[in-house]
Amino acid sequence: MPRIGTDEWVSEQELRTEYYSGLTAPARRAFDRVGPGPRFFAFLAICALFPFLTDSAFLIRVGVNVMLFALLALGLNIVVGWAGLLDLGYVAFYGFGAYMYAWISSAHFDVHLPTELAIPIVVAASACLGLLLGLPSWRLVGDYLAITTLFFAQIFVELALNLDRVNLPWRDEPLDLTGGPNGIPGIDRMSLLGIQLDDVRDYYFLLLMLLALIVVGLFYLNDSRTGRGWRASREDPLAAELMTTPVNRLKLLAFAMGAAIAGLTGSIFAAVQTGVFPQNFEVTLLIMIYAALILGGAGSISGAVLGAIIVAAVPEILRTPENARWLFYCALVLALLVAVRPWTRLAVVAGAVVGFGLVVHQLVAWLWPAGVEGETSGGTLAGVLDSWVFLPAESQDTVGNVAFVLLVAAVLWLTTLRGNARIAVLVPTIYLAAFVWENRLVEQPSVTRQLLFGAILVAMMTTRPQGLLGTPRVENPI
Amino acid sequence: MRKSRIWLVLALLVAALAVVAAGCGGDDDDTTEPAAEDTTAMDDDGTMEPVECTASIGIMGPFTGDVAAIGQEQLNWAKFAVDQYNTEHGTSFTLVEGDTQLDPAQAATVAPQFVSNSDIVAVIGPAGSQEIEAVGSIYGDASMAFVSPSATATNLTEDFDTFFRVVPTDADQGPTDAAYMAEELGAMNVLIIDDQSSYSTGLADSTTAALEDAGATVTRESVSQDQTDFSGLVSTVADDTDVVFLPWQVAANAQLFGNQLAEQGKDAVIFGSDGLFSPDDFSIAGSYVSSFAPDITGIDDAAIQELVTAFEAEYGDFGTFGPPTFAATTVVMEAATAICEGGEEPTREAMVEGIAATNLSESILGQPISFTDIGDIQDATFFIFQVQDDGSYQLVQ
Amino acid sequence: MDFFVQQLVNGVTLGSVYALIALGYSMVYGILKLLNFAHGEVYMIGAFIGYFVLTALGGASSPMLPVAPLLILMFLAAMLGAGLLGVVIERFAYRPLRNAPRIAPLISAIGVSFFLQASALLLFSAQFRTYSTPELIPFSTGIEAGPLRISLVRILVITSAVFLMIALTLLVNRTRLGKAMRAVSYDREAAAMMGIDVDRVIVATFFIGSVLAGAAGVMVGLVFERVFHFMGFVAGLKGFTAAVIGGIGNIPGAMLGGLVIGLAEAFTASYISSRFQNLIVFGILITVMLVRPTGLLGSPVLKKV
Repeated sequence: MPRIGTDEWVSEQELRTEYYSGLTAPARRAFDRVGPGPRFFAFLAICALFPFLTDSAFLIRVGVNVMLFALLALGLNIVVGWAGLLDLGYVAFYGFGAYMYAWISSAHFDVHLPTELAIPIVVAASACLGLLLGLPSWRLVGDYLAITTLFFAQIFVELALNLDRVNLPWRDEPLDLTGGPNGIPGIDRMSLLGIQLDDVRDYYFLLLMLLALIVVGLFYLNDSRTGRGWRASREDPLAAELMTTPVNRLKLLAFAMGAAIAGLTGSIFAAVQTGVFPQNFEVTLLIMIYAALILGGAGSISGAVLGAIIVAAVPEILRTPENARWLFYCALVLALLVAVRPWTRLAVVAGAVVGFGLVVHQLVAWLWPAGVEGETSGGTLAGVLDSWVFLPAESQDTVGNVAFVLLVAAVLWLTTLRGNARIAVLVPTIYLAAFVWENRLVEQPSVTRQLLFGAILVAMMTTRPQGLLGTPRVENPI
Repeated sequence: MRKSRIWLVLALLVAALAVVAAGCGGDDDDTTEPAAEDTTAMDDDGTMEPVECTASIGIMGPFTGDVAAIGQEQLNWAKFAVDQYNTEHGTSFTLVEGDTQLDPAQAATVAPQFVSNSDIVAVIGPAGSQEIEAVGSIYGDASMAFVSPSATATNLTEDFDTFFRVVPTDADQGPTDAAYMAEELGAMNVLIIDDQSSYSTGLADSTTAALEDAGATVTRESVSQDQTDFSGLVSTVADDTDVVFLPWQVAANAQLFGNQLAEQGKDAVIFGSDGLFSPDDFSIAGSYVSSFAPDITGIDDAAIQELVTAFEAEYGDFGTFGPPTFAATTVVMEAATAICEGGEEPTREAMVEGIAATNLSESILGQPISFTDIGDIQDATFFIFQVQDDGSYQLVQ
Repeated sequence: MDFFVQQLVNGVTLGSVYALIALGYSMVYGILKLLNFAHGEVYMIGAFIGYFVLTALGGASSPMLPVAPLLILMFLAAMLGAGLLGVVIERFAYRPLRNAPRIAPLISAIGVSFFLQASALLLFSAQFRTYSTPELIPFSTGIEAGPLRISLVRILVITSAVFLMIALTLLVNRTRLGKAMRAVSYDREAAAMMGIDVDRVIVATFFIGSVLAGAAGVMVGLVFERVFHFMGFVAGLKGFTAAVIGGIGNIPGAMLGGLVIGLAEAFTASYISSRFQNLIVFGILITVMLVRPTGLLGSPVLKKV
């Protein structure tokens, strides 16, 4: 019996995967047998232990970021994954929640509501805003809704930047609503039920609790009538309407719930950062949340959380060249393991890459001595690589840039080849990738992050559009 | 079956080749060349004997994003400073980068990272005032000194104990510029346009106040940093406007603005703050630019000029944000070296004290550097330049 | 009155640039129902290509060629380069996703946009580059009628934009390729059954759209002089707004939309305040969306049940 939202062919594919075979089969079968509840509990337990395993405030802060992202992705999942509404204005709700909390809990207007009062107010206000912004969804569908909501997000940032000099007729001085480009600093820390939340660790646990509650709530919501109604209106709104599903009301509900979660997350973010600034809520953040959701798999709760972990944690790993190097080479090896089968072919490729590199290194040392005299930025891995990859000492940038362009061309060409030709081109491409990495990318972690991010999005979409944990969907052609 | 056998044979062949190649290609002596070439002394009071000193210095800035030009310039000058200093003094300082994209949230993530990296003893940056608001208490709790080369909001040094800066505040620059405009240029009608950044609005506000005290009429306008076209705004510049004050961060935008002013035949003179100080990007003849640092390419000091040449050879052109970063990095390194010479390891608390006690008689900015007790730079002098017809900057005050 | 005409000229200049970018968005949407977010970056690359050609031929202060052939060369190089880039993007980032759910090519486009921006930052560094147009074409050339001053550069930009738009309209309405494009945008399957090579038509559409974006890049370089890696984002957004206002998928609509936005920006900046430029543009968009969702010239989408 195919699930609602998938057609027969797709659900047959899913059935096929239930017959596991191979080395990992018992583990996978056990995993499936255990069920979502214990699995989630195990995940929560690991997360709860994490702050006790490390002293580094940085890692806990990364954990906090990951959970903020996860909450945002979950909220977006309701709107985009379940209800199928393309909402590109989601960050506006996040920002609204943050600014609202700043208004009622900071030195800005000198209003210091207790947290137990402030949070419900923020959530309620965000839900109302979500309802308001969801109203256009009655008339607009698909791309038009996307466009309108995108510009709501832009307007939010503009308003945040410009509402610091509002001239009201009954006031002498202009009213400073949002602090303009300077934002609103000095936001109170939260204190729930008498416990003052000062440290980043406290917020980690608060967010973990919220995450648990929301995930459980969403899980039950997905299985309820509302969830089914969302799925129906996502797949075919007209048919759903005819079957008495209140499509418009469901759309508004989706918007409101997504906005409520975003507003809640915004208020916690404001408390953690003790300040809100307009550039916290720009389109770049929206893209990251979308990327997290899509990478993980839209429509799947665990997908949203997984995507958030990847998107929030990987850039932090890439910050230090040491870790970045390890990440890169491990990822390369992993990709080869997954993509190249059987193992004999893999061995050939690995051997060929190493050999090719050594040969090229020797050639360059012979013909252009300055080509091998550059320095690596240190570390254990770098020492090993020194005799394999060559680093020119002069005009390093130009050589690196040319190599980068060649690399992109080679990768694109690779996707058009098949069979032995593909293996043949793969070897120099891998070497080229390592070369470009060592020469140009490792020293510029911030640019590399963005590059990799874009590349991963494209690669993921072209090979597996449903994301890591999502279900493949067949959409009705227009 | 045959296909996988072929692959097996190939695998063995390749493995054999690899072994042979590894055997032959074993000995390469790549000597790691030292990075910097120039060994001129930067300030004369330093000793030329090598000093054993190892420490990491964090640097935070917008290395990507829409103000990446500023961040990259700061980063390059910091790298340059570290290379020069290491070569000259035999120390082993390293830089650790933290990209913030001028986003306070990212700054608040980078700051704990620096704090937990026990090698880092001090931080250069962050660049923006909002970022400092976000990280100030993090660094304060960790007793980590942080020296900003570009944040000018006045309250920052008061609010945070471990914060220092090598640039003067808006409270200094605003009145200086206003005084010049009112007295020297005799401006009675001034149009001030800010670019919606916190640097800009802060400076615009303090200049407005000073100008109005001097009796001038001030009109305020505002544009965004990524505005493509100013012609609409330019056409509203009234004919009796004497001066247009542009406290902007992006000099190239001001060049466009000036071109469009000329295109529409307006007479108003442009007066820019230190954000416009960039002879390559902003060269409207007849306009004025104020700067905390004198144009270091115009300082009559051989040592500084050698530095400029060396930098340009390695990294290319630069504007106004670079040299203060060099100065900030030098302040940090000097403090660390002083601690090392005393036979101690540089710790964060010691660095805070050491930086507070900085007393450099010379610097790349052409003036001595020492700090007030809250962390502002002392005797911040402002220099005002006029752009000549050939695009060069001439000191007028 | 002169003030008004001045603003009109400013608005039309700006509008022509936005229109060219909007055309690319509209054409691609019409054929593939895809919002090509990477279009802004194609425009940015076009501007950079123009800059590099200019520098290679001596730069604005001492060009090796006289001004007219120099400009033509810059335009051609940028247009060709941008067109090729557009074709490559289509081939590798969008073609595999022809039959995937609609959100997939959208995310892919976002990924391409991010990648191109970062590549530009890596290859060209964060420095602003300027065309230094006044050295090439001094301000004094142009029309002067009393207080009204229109520089030659603006006239050039407006005329080339108009020329390109006329060429495009002729292409779409009078040639076989144009007919094929219209057929594919109306009903892809039926067009394929009629013997039209859909893939080729799509490639041609991307090529033409990107060529226009490349030309827009050089024009922006000439008039506004600043070229940097982030310029594609804002211009892309504005061009996209223009396409939507005019009716996305609709070619005359894109031109109209561009003009509307350009004029709105110019008049807001001069008559109201520069602060509200962006707000008013977005406000116009939202109003149009709510009142006439398919855009000013768009035709209502009829959905077959």
